[in-house]
Amino acid sequence: MSRGSGGGYDRHITIFSPEGRLYQVEYAFKAVKAAGVTSIGVRGKDSVCVVTQKKVPDKLLDQTSVTLLFPITKYLGLLATGITADARTLVQQARNEAAEFRFRYGYEMPVDVLARWIADKSQVYTQHAYMRPLGVVAMILGIDEEKGPQLFKCDPAGHFFGHKATSAGGKEQEAINFLEKKMKNDPKFTYDETVQTAISALQSVLQEDFKASEIEVGVVREEDKLFKVLSTDEIDEHLTAISERD
Amino acid sequence: MGDSQYSFSLTTFSPSGKLVQIEHALTAVGSGQTSLGIKAANGVVIATEKKLPSILVDETSVQKIQSLTPNIGVVYSGMGPDSRVLVRKSRKQAEQYYRLYKEPIPVTQLVRETATVMQEFTQSGGVRPFGVSLLVAGYDDKGPQLYQVDPSGSYFSWKASAMGKNVSNAKAFLEKRYTEGVELDDAVHTAILTLKEGFEGQITGKNIEIGVIGSDRIFRVLSSSEVEDYLQEVE
Repeated sequence: MSRGSGGGYDRHITIFSPEGRLYQVEYAFKAVKAAGVTSIGVRGKDSVCVVTQKKVPDKLLDQTSVTLLFPITKYLGLLATGITADARTLVQQARNEAAEFRFRYGYEMPVDVLARWIADKSQVYTQHAYMRPLGVVAMILGIDEEKGPQLFKCDPAGHFFGHKATSAGGKEQEAINFLEKKMKNDPKFTYDETVQTAISALQSVLQEDFKASEIEVGVVREEDKLFKVLSTDEIDEHLTAISERD
Repeated sequence: MGDSQYSFSLTTFSPSGKLVQIEHALTAVGSGQTSLGIKAANGVVIATEKKLPSILVDETSVQKIQSLTPNIGVVYSGMGPDSRVLVRKSRKQAEQYYRLYKEPIPVTQLVRETATVMQEFTQSGGVRPFGVSLLVAGYDDKGPQLYQVDPSGSYFSWKASAMGKNVSNAKAFLEKRYTEGVELDDAVHTAILTLKEGFEGQITGKNIEIGVIGSDRIFRVLSSSEVEDYLQEVE
């Protein structure tokens, strides 16, 4: 009789289960959800905005060092959802790769190329036993020279897609349902609408109103193409606009 | 390949002589989206479902059918990330052949080299087999050709074939509909009808992808509006 489940190892390393699934990859997705943080990304007509919760578990921690929003280059940003340590490794490697790309080819690494590189690296971890998949879902944002604002999401399985809007983390599915309704008729959001849609999506899904210090917001805009992390004052402006609107 | 700690093969024989990891890989292929290919007298057509997880996904960022050389294209069923690895390796092998012989690689040779890569991952240390089956469509001096490559590394030449979720219905449909010497245009219609058989929901130019190669020996993926035109002809 054939051995059923690969001697039980199919849950420990990335080999196939009898149903043709990779348990380690599925567990990596669970790790992303278990981190307890939800992130949202929205692409507008000429800008992209990503928002995530900022959970500081201890009041003695230096809040400025708790971040999941990283600049990869001046023009590319990465929002990581999941295990912080895995996120930092990924960011370090991505920064290196983007810098080498600029040096080697003489132009800035485009968003989809970086997303593909991250996804291909994640795929290697799903096929080789010596490294486990990373417990991180990465959202990459930037302005592409030809295609305009771009938002990509890369996951532990090695998939990557461009998105009009997306979400990751604990309340991912609820957020996607909310966003699908908002983006149904292919709206072309302005910069302010993009940021406010992203923040209000997060507020609605988590059912709480945030203070500016409890969320992180990152944007790229067509006009200057630079990746920027919004300051608490700028976040406050948007939060006020949202509450006045409602 | 892999760390020295994993210098043993993960794909090993079971007491009955089966390689279960390969069987599981085939199961993974069987739960992937349906794809198919048809060889015509003057070309080859390959097609696949392109169902995306949400309307929020930008479908222009996804292209499942890829070209390996100007005259060879490929479609997969199974795990998308694994297929990207194979596409990249095959493209490189095609380029290396051209650099050495100053001639485009024959379809059979590229298929053989891709299949060798897939076989290596069933025997090398610390890796698992690829969770994809590929349909390779090409046109060279030997004429139009269609090959299917499986996770085990075995490959066969087909007149028409299908893979993925709806494989048995699709193959039955193709067996009935296939005629020798069919023209490329008719083959495209047959491909669409086969996809339509098992399609859940409304089929449009945006949720299927079609790639063709004709006697001009240029492989190209049809735009969604071209697919819509074919869909209207089939109605």
